[in-house]
Amino acid sequence: MLGFSELQRDAITEVLNIAIGRAAAALNQMVDDEEVRLSVPCLDFLSRSEATLRLRRETGGAPTVAVKQRFAGPEAGDILLIFPESRSLELVHLMLRNTTPLETMTEMEREALVEVGNVLLNACLGSIANLFRRPIDSSLPVYVEAGGDAILHLGEDAGRTARSEDTVMFVHVEFALAQRDLRGYLACVMDIASAQAFGQHIEDYVRQAIGN
Amino acid sequence: MAVGTVLLVDDSRVSRLMTRSVIARHHPDWEVLEAASGEEALALSTGLAIDFMLVDVNMPGLDGITTATRLKASHPAARITLLTANIQDAVQDKARAAGIGFIGKPITEEKIARFFSMGGAEC
Repeated sequence: MLGFSELQRDAITEVLNIAIGRAAAALNQMVDDEEVRLSVPCLDFLSRSEATLRLRRETGGAPTVAVKQRFAGPEAGDILLIFPESRSLELVHLMLRNTTPLETMTEMEREALVEVGNVLLNACLGSIANLFRRPIDSSLPVYVEAGGDAILHLGEDAGRTARSEDTVMFVHVEFALAQRDLRGYLACVMDIASAQAFGQHIEDYVRQAIGN
Repeated sequence: MAVGTVLLVDDSRVSRLMTRSVIARHHPDWEVLEAASGEEALALSTGLAIDFMLVDVNMPGLDGITTATRLKASHPAARITLLTANIQDAVQDKARAAGIGFIGKPITEEKIARFFSMGGAEC
């Protein structure tokens, strides 16, 4: 099991807070300034199957949909925006309410959700890239339907085989539109080598920030 | 401003729709052309006079920075901006170096309207 020191963990949480804050600001603009509440990011080292269970528990076992982007570089991994399926359309309706007639909206729901994911996930990745002063390459966003199993079943598309017993760094944060009881999750999964590289970048960033 | 022509380049139909609706509200008489890829934008724009172009960055095929740079070469008088979720400094630096504007998504009425009201000046 890979461990981070308390200071490293604190620094990681802080960087993620900045990144997720940027995503929340983007979401806030998309839904006409409704307040977006965020939980504290939760960081754990778990097996992929444990991460799947954790996600299923968080979402109450209800069917979920997700938008996923793979990022590459010294840290490779997946970043996901996850919603309970039953509520995802509400977000799409909120986003498009000023622009789209209701009958057109239905056929565009999936595309609209991918675009929500595109904006939020890139806000998150982009702010981390800007903090580290280093570009992060990422794939185009894809839509994933089904339960937590399929959503966190990762890795094959990068030519690696993801095994359920592999330990990963699993970070997730819950966000909610305060006035609507509409919740979603931002999650990030990295393998151990990537998590170590990420930790190193954070250390360098903190050292620079405090002028050491 | 007189009647204008706008080219929207974005693989997301939803994004094109949202931008188009803002233009329709603020400039109902303008013509709006759409392309779902860089390649399509280059083909569609050939020989056409276009006043404004808004170009996404992360698209399948030709990326938005290459597309926008080529569009700028073929349409030097057009006001061109990136309109993208990719807010990385590296992307903004490239846009600046190429003389192209930058607008970060999400698309909002205010951002799009401001781009046109400033005559396409960098946002």
